[in-house]
This record gives sequence, structure tokens and C-alpha cells, in this order.
Amino acid sequence: MKKILSLLLAAFMVLSMIPALSETAPLEISMYYSDNSTLPFREDWPVLLAIQEKYNVKLNVAPIPIADYTTKVGLALSTGQNAPDVIVGSSTGGANASLALNGAIVPLSDYAEWTPHFNARVAEFGMENEVNSLSLSDGKRYYLPALYDKPFYDGGLILREDFLLAKGLDAPKTYDDLYEILKAYKAEYPDAFPLTTIVAPRVLYRMTMPSFGVSVGLNAATGTGTLSWDYDNMEYFAGAVSEQYKNFVTFFNKLHAEGLLDPEMTQDATSTSQKLATGKAMATYGYYDQMGGWSQGSEIEGFRLQMYPPLEGTAGAHHQPKNRTAGGLLFPIGTAQRPDFEQVVRKIDEIFFSEEAATMWCIGIEGDSYTMDGDTIVYSDTIKSAEEGIYKYMQNAYGAGCDGLQLVWYNAREMTKYDENYASINAAVAAMEDAIQYIPPTPSFDDMTAEDAALLQTTLLDTFEVWNDSFLTGKKSIENDWDAYVEEMNSKGMEEFLKIYNDNKKM
Amino acid sequence: MIRTLKPRTGGIRDKSPLLDILIYVVMFLMLLVCVTPFLYIIAMSLSSSEAILNGRVSLWPVGFSVEAYTQIFNYPNFFRAYRNTIFYTVAGTAISLTLMVMFAYPLSKSRLKGQKFVMKLVVFSMFFSGGLIPNYLLISNLKLTGTPLAMILPFAINQFNLIILINFFRSLPEELEEAARIDGLNYGGTLVRILLPLSAAALATIGLYTAVFFWNDWFYGLIYLNNEQYPVMLLLRNIVNGTTMVGEAGGVGERASVAIAVKSAVIISSTLPIILLYPFLQQYFVKGIMVGAVKG
Repeated sequence: MKKILSLLLAAFMVLSMIPALSETAPLEISMYYSDNSTLPFREDWPVLLAIQEKYNVKLNVAPIPIADYTTKVGLALSTGQNAPDVIVGSSTGGANASLALNGAIVPLSDYAEWTPHFNARVAEFGMENEVNSLSLSDGKRYYLPALYDKPFYDGGLILREDFLLAKGLDAPKTYDDLYEILKAYKAEYPDAFPLTTIVAPRVLYRMTMPSFGVSVGLNAATGTGTLSWDYDNMEYFAGAVSEQYKNFVTFFNKLHAEGLLDPEMTQDATSTSQKLATGKAMATYGYYDQMGGWSQGSEIEGFRLQMYPPLEGTAGAHHQPKNRTAGGLLFPIGTAQRPDFEQVVRKIDEIFFSEEAATMWCIGIEGDSYTMDGDTIVYSDTIKSAEEGIYKYMQNAYGAGCDGLQLVWYNAREMTKYDENYASINAAVAAMEDAIQYIPPTPSFDDMTAEDAALLQTTLLDTFEVWNDSFLTGKKSIENDWDAYVEEMNSKGMEEFLKIYNDNKKM
Repeated sequence: MIRTLKPRTGGIRDKSPLLDILIYVVMFLMLLVCVTPFLYIIAMSLSSSEAILNGRVSLWPVGFSVEAYTQIFNYPNFFRAYRNTIFYTVAGTAISLTLMVMFAYPLSKSRLKGQKFVMKLVVFSMFFSGGLIPNYLLISNLKLTGTPLAMILPFAINQFNLIILINFFRSLPEELEEAARIDGLNYGGTLVRILLPLSAAALATIGLYTAVFFWNDWFYGLIYLNNEQYPVMLLLRNIVNGTTMVGEAGGVGERASVAIAVKSAVIISSTLPIILLYPFLQQYFVKGIMVGAVKG
């Protein structure tokens, strides 16, 4: 009897200790992370460890290959089974919108008081309108987006600066300047096609069209393929059949006809690199990160590439439109069933959006990766001397600056991770008026309208692509066949498509 | 291949040595067509990025470098993933062959009651399936997600291979089994002691198909498993995609010059082990392809 009693007492003591223990035990949160193989996820990233320790949280991160991330996320959301507590790097674009409207995702705007740090950053950046515009047709926002105080200029026209210097040519400011430069190169190297492209001409199209006043094709800023956004009147217009598009295609048709544009447009990134490195081409539209690889590999003496701010076309100088928000955190509906749901949301808000945590995700740990000299960030010697550059090294070695985990981006602070050249190009672009315009708002359709729009979109885009190729390569004449083209687009529902978008546009 | 052709072409060959030369020339050209891309990929994977970038690599490595391989092998968990794949392939093939043999043998007997109905079910499921989400729910409700069994059990019976095996069993003389039964063997004994030893060709063929399936699979690994259980194909796919993401999405860029070398190294390190299986299985394979081809 005594034994039983003492056992019971002991059991009681143990049980009574559990709540006390759980107060100090770290809060466990599971999450999906989109794993980019160029910066493979490591559980022992110093920043990840430091955040977990500082905020007393245990993050069970499941790295999912980036190429298949949407499949895995879609499956977890649509079946609701085996879903993690949090999904990073996601938004309610595409199929997620209907999943959200059907109750698979927590409507975070309903819990705004639980995300004080996020709200503070939004207010700091003055982004209330942009964040509100992320809500779906039911007026609710379903995720915490990543926030950028200013959009980056990370890619654009890249060309051989050494050629400009050798010929005494000025840096290009307009598309006419570019034409002259390409022509000068062609005159010197008649076998070359001076302007080449990467990954089909999609990068070229999306980076050059805005200077002509449109953005159409597979990477249209509106996501519609054939519609563009009128920034003055705040409405959609039929970009694919507009005068602006005609100006655009006329210019590139001229380049093509004179052998200034590489006719091989379905090449992969390797061919582009080879052409640039061997002098078969001297310019392309690409990303700043890529320049190093091309320059390092070339055997041409004095080879030097430079990236330039957007050129002025018939509609001003504009780069591909960008938003100040990007994919962020969303909570599958199952998370709301957790008894400590409020704590989870508050903790997530704190570890990603609080000023201190956001600094750690960006530049690492003070005293380890950097020290402060007044207001200046001084990176450690190892980081400064890293061969791959500060930015890339900090991603791989620290887990700092990784898309998905860093959700607050200050342009000026990011620039401290790059060379002066990149920072000065970005400063030049930031000083230009409206160089990077915002991405047009997505209309909120109901399911039926969305289906109608999608049907028209596919047909119109297919037709446009065929004509665009023909115009560009001169198989069809822009002057003589333009009316036939417009007529065909209209017969495929161009006007109806435009009307659907303008009727449902969100201001 | 040539050895099996001999008896058929023997008569003509005696009359015309020219034809013999022609056959060898054609075979050599075929070989060239098959081997050249492979050699090219090997050369690319072992060349320096500068040589690739400047277009100097053809069929022999230029500026020998193993950087691409180092990069893949240093990828976190690469070897664990490789081990996983070997396990899925070996265990999957073993379980698959066992189950298929046990399924095919009774179905090869047309006197079995309900045999036709079961055959219809098999064929039906070959053409129609529940689709991704119902399948996922099924596997998840069976508590298989996150276990290696999710990679093996749902694919243990492949209808196409099953039908090949059924037809093979049918092609074996019934008298053999009758003799075995007279000598006192039951059905199980007949299958194990008489039929299986005669089925090496069929089993090798189907085993190879199955092994290649398990080896190459990445999609089911992605949706059913946790990251520490991922097969190597999924990692390699991610490496290849990661290095070509440049330009598609922008943002994080990789030095484009390494991409092609890495891609080549990925192709070599992922296909070489399974390609090495072929020479050992070839003698069965040639015979095996014709298995079940005549009798339907």
C-alpha cells in the first residue's frame, strides 16, 4: 500500500512539473522551404541556429526541391494531409487562390493583431495599399508577403564595355544608341550576331517591351499574355494589337533584318555564354550574377562586360515591372487547429519580421559575420575575401539573404553585399523616374469568369506568338499584314478578353 | 545481337561476303550514333568551364577538371540519397518480382474460375487510374506516406509486365507441370522448382524494366516521402534545374559556365550504374524481349 502511495505521489510530482517544463520548451513549428540547389539548405546554417536559440523556437524545416515546390505545396494544401504548419516562399497566385477561397489556407488578414512586426514593416515602407491589393475576391489576404522597400535592378542590358571603349562609343542611353553600337560591332565582325538572347527571347522581351509601352507575350507583366496596363489611365488595354507593340516589333524586326539580332532564339544558357565569351555576340539581356561567369571564361583579351540602366524607347525608359512584395508565408488551415495557433502566428511574425530578426536573416550575426562601425556594416575578413562574392558566400555559409527565409529587404543594406559597380548601377536606376513600374493588379474573378478568361487567354496568346515570330523574322510584313493580324486577334476574342479584365479590375 | 542473327542470315551470308561487310558497317554506324552523345557528355563533365565556354570540347576532355563531380558529391545528403535509391531499387524489384510471379502464375491458368474477370480488372487498371490526389489520399490514409514502403508497394505490380509474365507462363508446356504433380509436387512447389528455373529470361527482362523504373523515379519520392528519404534522382533533378533557373526566374544566379559541366556530370552519375546492369543481363534480355510475343 505504501509503495502504491509513494508511486502515486511521485507520478503526481512528475505530472505537475510538465506545465512548468513546457513553458521553457521551444515552440515547435514545421515548415516547407523551397530549396534552390545553388544554395542548398543546411540545418546548421548559423543564422538559422541563432534565430532558433534567440527566439526559443524549433523550426522543423523540410527542404523541397524548388522545381517541384508548387506540386508539393499544392498537394499538401488541396488534400490537407501531412501539411506543415507554415509554407514559405508562397503566395495566393495561380491555383492557390481557389484553394484559399475554398478554405484550405488561413485568412491572415483576420488575425492582423497577431502580426505586429509585419504591420510595423508595412507601415515603415508605406506599403499599405500594395499589401491590401493582395487580398482575394472575398476581401481577405491569405499570406504574409516578403517586403522590399525599393525594387532591385538585378538584370538588364549587358554588353561589352571594352568594345565601347576601344571604339570611343558612349554608353547607350536609347534604343537608337544600342542600334548604332550593334551596327558598329557587326561592321567589325560581319559573322557575328551582336545581340543574343538567353532562354528563348523571353528575358529580352520582358526587359525591353516596357520602354515601348507594352508588356505582352509569355512573360507579360499582367500575366495575361496579350493585355498591357495603361499606367496613366489605370486600366488594361489590348497591348498585343496596339501601336506601342507595333513600335516594339518594328525595332526588333530591323535588328533581325540587318543581322544584328541572333536568329537562334531557342538556345539554352550555355550557347549564350559561349557566344558572348567567344565574341560571336557582344550584348544580351540577362542578369548581373551571370556576368562574372561569362567574363571569367573568355579568352578574349580585355574582355569586360557591363550592365546598363534601362534604355529609352518610344515610351520612356522602363525596366520589367516589379512589385515591392513577393511570395511569403502562408499557413495551411490545419495549423489553425493547433491549440497554440496564436503563439505560432506571433512567433512566426517575430522571427521573420521583427527588426532584429530581419537584420539577422540579411547580414547574419553581429560580431561573427559583421561588426558595426557607426552606421556602416563591416563584414568579416573571410566574407569580404570570399571568391564568390559577399552575397553568394553569405547565402551558402550563413543562410543569410536566402529567398524564402529573408522577408524584409532594404535596398541600401542589400547593396553592401555587392561590388560598387552593382550598387552604382542600382543607384542610377533608382534616380531615374519610374524606371521600374509596379506590376499591374490582378483582377478578382469568380470561378466562371476565371474559366472564360483562361480560355480566351490561351487562344489569344498562341495566335500572338505565331504572329510575333513572323513579324520579328520578317515572314510577315508589319506594314502590309498588320490589319490582317488585328482582325484575326479580334476574331479570337481580343475585345471580349479586354472587357472581362477591365470589368473586374481591382483598384 | 549478332550471335542471334547468325543462324537466320547464315544462308545469305555464305553467298555474299559483301552483305556481311554491309551489316558490320551499319552496325558500326549504329554504335557510333549511340556512343557519341555519351562520350560527348563524359567529355563535358570532365572539362574545365573555360574550355566549355570557349567551345573547345568535343569527344575528349579539355582542361581536365572534376569540379562538376565535386560539386554534386558535396551536395548535402547526396550519398544518403544514393543509398536510398539503391535500397528502393533492390527492395522494390525483389518485392515486385515476387508479387508479380505469385499473381501471374494463377492467372496463366485459364481453367481458374474468375480468371477472365481478374484479367479484365488488371487491364482496366492499366488504362484508368484515380489520379494524383485520390492516390495521394489513399497512400496517406494507409499511413504509408513518409515510409519507404510508399515508394515500393504502390508500384509493385505493373500490369504491362504482369501480362508479359502471364503469357510467358502460358507458353511453357503444360506437360511439365503434370509430370511434376505426378511426382508429388503441389502448385507452390511446381512454381518454385520447375517453372521459375525455366523463367530466367522473363524474370531478367521484367526485373530490368522494374529496376529501371525504381531507379529513375523521382516524382513519387517527392510527393510521398520526407526529405531524408528522397531518392537521388530528385536531388539531381534539383541540381540540374537549379543551374538552369538562371534567366527563367532571375534573382539567384549560378555561374552559367559550370551549368553544362554539372548537368553532364549529373547525367553520367545517375545513368552509369543502371547502364552497367545491361551487359550482365543482356544474354537474358535478347531472349526475354521475345517472351510472350507469340502467344497472346
